[in-house]
Amino acid sequence: MNVAEKKHRVIEPDSLIGKRIPKMDAPDKASGRTRYIHDINLPGQLHGKILRSARIHALIKSIDTSAARALPGVHVVITAADIADQRPIGVAKDHFPLKVGRVRSQRDEIAAVAAESEEIAEAALKLIKVEYEDLPVIGNPEDSIKPGAVLIHPEPHGADGTHLHLKQGTSIAHKGKPDNVAMRFDYTHGDVVHGEAESDVVIEDTFKLHYVTHCCMGVSGMIAEFDAGGNVLMYSNTQVPFLHKREFAEYLNIDPARIRSRKDGTLTFRQVHTLHDNGAYTSWGATTPFVMMQTFSSLYRVPHCDYHTAAVYTNNPYAGSFRGYGNLQATFAIEQHMDMLAETIGMDPLEFRMKNAQEAGEVTGQGMSFKSCGFKDCIKTAAGRSDFSRKFAENHANQKKPGNIKRGIGMASMLHVGGGAKIYPSDGCGTILKLDDFANVTLITGASEIGQGSETVLSQLVCEELGLPISAVTVVNNDTAITPWDVGVHASRTTFVAGNSAIGAARKAKSKILAVAAKKFDCTEADLDLRGGFVIRADSGEALVELSKLLRNLHFQDKAELVMTTFYYEPPSVHQDKGFKGDVSAAYAWGTQVVEVEVDTDTGFIKLLKVTGAHDVGRVLNRLGIEGQIEGGVVMGQGYAFTEDLMIEDGKMKNPNFRDYKLVTAPEIPEMDIAFIESMDGEGPQGAKGVGEAPAICMAAAAANAIANATGTRLFELPFTPEKVYRALHGQAPKRYWKPWKAE
Amino acid sequence: MSLGDTKSPFDSEEDPMTELKRYFAPTSLDQAVECLKGGNVTILAGGTDLTPQSQAGRIKFRETLMNIRHIPQLSGITLEGNEIRIGALATITEIMEHPLVRQHLPVLVEACDHFASDQIRNAGTLGGNICNASPAGDTLVPLLVLDACVELASMPEAKLYRHCMPISTFFTGPGKTRKSLCELVTGVRIPVPSPDHRSRFYKHGTRPALDISTISIGIAGDIKDGVISNVRVAFGAVAPTPLRATATESALEGRHLDAATIEAAAVAARDEVNPIDDVRATAWYRREMIHNMTKRVLENVAQA
Ligand SMILES: Cc1cc2nc3c(=O)[nH]c(=O)nc-3n(C[C@H](O)[C@H](O)[C@H](O)COP(=O)(O)OP(=O)(O)OC[C@H]3O[C@@H](n4cnc5c(N)ncnc54)[C@H](O)[C@@H]3O)c2cc1C
Repeated sequence: MNVAEKKHRVIEPDSLIGKRIPKMDAPDKASGRTRYIHDINLPGQLHGKILRSARIHALIKSIDTSAARALPGVHVVITAADIADQRPIGVAKDHFPLKVGRVRSQRDEIAAVAAESEEIAEAALKLIKVEYEDLPVIGNPEDSIKPGAVLIHPEPHGADGTHLHLKQGTSIAHKGKPDNVAMRFDYTHGDVVHGEAESDVVIEDTFKLHYVTHCCMGVSGMIAEFDAGGNVLMYSNTQVPFLHKREFAEYLNIDPARIRSRKDGTLTFRQVHTLHDNGAYTSWGATTPFVMMQTFSSLYRVPHCDYHTAAVYTNNPYAGSFRGYGNLQATFAIEQHMDMLAETIGMDPLEFRMKNAQEAGEVTGQGMSFKSCGFKDCIKTAAGRSDFSRKFAENHANQKKPGNIKRGIGMASMLHVGGGAKIYPSDGCGTILKLDDFANVTLITGASEIGQGSETVLSQLVCEELGLPISAVTVVNNDTAITPWDVGVHASRTTFVAGNSAIGAARKAKSKILAVAAKKFDCTEADLDLRGGFVIRADSGEALVELSKLLRNLHFQDKAELVMTTFYYEPPSVHQDKGFKGDVSAAYAWGTQVVEVEVDTDTGFIKLLKVTGAHDVGRVLNRLGIEGQIEGGVVMGQGYAFTEDLMIEDGKMKNPNFRDYKLVTAPEIPEMDIAFIESMDGEGPQGAKGVGEAPAICMAAAAANAIANATGTRLFELPFTPEKVYRALHGQAPKRYWKPWKAE
Repeated sequence: MSLGDTKSPFDSEEDPMTELKRYFAPTSLDQAVECLKGGNVTILAGGTDLTPQSQAGRIKFRETLMNIRHIPQLSGITLEGNEIRIGALATITEIMEHPLVRQHLPVLVEACDHFASDQIRNAGTLGGNICNASPAGDTLVPLLVLDACVELASMPEAKLYRHCMPISTFFTGPGKTRKSLCELVTGVRIPVPSPDHRSRFYKHGTRPALDISTISIGIAGDIKDGVISNVRVAFGAVAPTPLRATATESALEGRHLDAATIEAAAVAARDEVNPIDDVRATAWYRREMIHNMTKRVLENVAQA
């Protein structure tokens, strides 16, 4: 291109926002080139194996590792006794990596072996002798709180104050528990007694929920090595590399909820009690009431709300966090009650929801401030696109007609944090950004990519500022020695928090570039912009100089300079106070899903026909990415609602395989119609909010409402397997625990 | 080892399990049955049962692992006189696509169409499904209502010995059959059904693909002027073996397929099955499904 031509070149405005951009990691994933932890082999590495408990709940009387240690090829065998200062892990520091004196659940770790091969390590495990003394097993939370129940954590454990090398010393000790209650939460706003007096109608029900688990492509693992300088280098798969916390994922709660309203359809008060099966140790599952209470207190306007909960120890696998973090469960109860209340007062369920739905500008009893809120648009859009009202009435009229195939339609909505969640001292994310001499960008971000597409979205946001093609960006996000702080990939926060951080760094770079260019072209920074790889005149779009050339000029001069910036973004949210009140997120996401089903009353079999969704996502950044996120979330919600069930009986998993733990398969996935409500959040990156967890939340509740619309029968227990549905239709109590295989 | 020896593997299902020492891939039936003589052999066909079972530690390989996939006498689907012979190595996919099967044995095609997934159907064989003897094996119910015979081969002395056994007597329990450790299943023989023959298969699972039957139902008979005769009914996953349902058959034999007959047959069916509770369903639900779906299948046949 010669100089004369360049002078006349005009670059039209263009934007990457809202475009369909393939995920940057898609080719590697689709072609099997992505390296998971088990693909990594370091020269000379040893193989670790863990001896797991043969009992569910027992005292460890003795462990004999002598034969295992003597096996040729074994380098080390360790038990709790070999680690003088073993530090307990988990939310309540009640959990030793290697168990001391007692095992409390299936697969509890007793000893670890490192050997020259997997086979030798495996053989060594068989040589370890453990003597146990069995204790009674607590298999469900109701038994755990009965008077006289065996205690699961009576003994103090952990640091005794002498662990000075850990600095935190005494604070990590677990004092031992005189009962089986691991954690309690009590929340109140308004005055439920007052609310009760104002009410015309009350409904009260008990909901029972099941255990599910994430089923990741890559299984967990860890490889560690020392470098020549004695530093430990660890390769692991985690969503929180900066916290090094471990998460596991099952969850159960029992959830009796009372909700009342006036006859005019105004909600008056809500009272909820939940009992959570914490499992044997306290992990993140115990803290899900944080999220559940947002739904109870603030999804719909409710002037008086009361919520009490306890997470109690049992000998079941311990409960961790799962996409939606308690919100699938809370929404399951709340949204069924919305339909039931509407029916009781003879109001249309859609109208009833619209009447009580939150709007922008509202500050809830819990202190959440809804600066942008597309909730009512979500309800209207999902209902309109699915022809909800007509179908709802038609199905209802068909309930009593003959025939074993019944159709139903049901809706549910959700509220979830969409601008991070200030649960740690910091909810921030740092970015380091540099431009090289060819206008290529390296974006160094604290935010991990765990398949959610953050690399692509962050690159888009940076390119939007710098007027560069997405191919110009390289993202570095996987080495804590290089990347700046980020709290982790949770709470649907990465696009929002890491996105704002990346934009901040890019804007600093841009203003430095424009300042240099303004000098060169003798104008002000405001007269200029970056577009298509050029510095341009903002008004006419006339290309002035290639950005790469400008960067080289800046670099190769007497006063050489590079363009490198850093930015740290901390969202303007606050910690909740002791009463769990406060504006914990910088933005809130909303969504409504309408589910259509066909129920075969002869079998209880449910065909999921269609899901119509409308999600307030703030703004669509990568259309392809957000479609994938929502569709994938719907399928995950479908599995939660219909097929997935981790069956646990007396602390033992009955279906630890993918034959019997049923993930949704391709032919079961329904037709989907997904609409995006763009509420343009003022704080969000380009107006966007987080949506990572949102799409999985409504499915179970909407499906329950659809089944009720089809059959007139309400299901209070998940998942909706054919047998459970059939039993409900035929007035049989659900059968929860399954006898083991044996002929009658 | 002679046949008279009390510990002969010909007589018992006793498992002389040792560590795997040898792999053998015979290219003729004679070689295969010769190898089976000692009885200490694990037979490998498609491996779709064997592999997951050994990985889960539920079975151990015997001294010799014998891959039977190179034995020509075990493959092919042919019309022999008034019988269709399906070789033991015929895969589920081959069966489903074969014109002879499609023309004469649609009930078998229906069962194959509900079997696992494409990948498993391409590898899994009919012989494997029969010898694995799961109460939920999906080809077994249609084979029962088609009155199939199982072809067996062995070498008790120095010579190849072949005989047939009705499939209705072949199964003795979950994973157990009358076949001795020295015998190889070479195929099945199915009489070509009459032109009046009608048959149906129903599989109840929780999802359309990749599911083990919660229950399955096969019903066959000749239908003339609304009357059903030569009735054969079989159920899967409701007893220790796939089950010929004789009481249900008598409730139907020689009768008009009217509402009363259908209800009587459905009740007989519910009463004659003997299901268990497991992770897939309770016995109660299985009985209910046997009743409801036997009724639905019969109504469907009556209307056709
Ligand atoms: C994911 C998955 C899904 C499945 N879904 C279904 C399903 O929907 N329905 C269903 O019925 N099954 C299903 N199965 C089970 C399996 O695929 C079938 O039983 C299949 O027919 C087995 O055939 P195979 O050739 O793979 O047998 P193999 O695994 O090779 O052998 C099975 C058993 O039979 C013995 N054997 C095999 N051939 C002979 C022979 N000719 N003579 C003597 N012994 C022999 C073997 O020693 C072994 O004990 C599924 C399996 C998997 C892994």
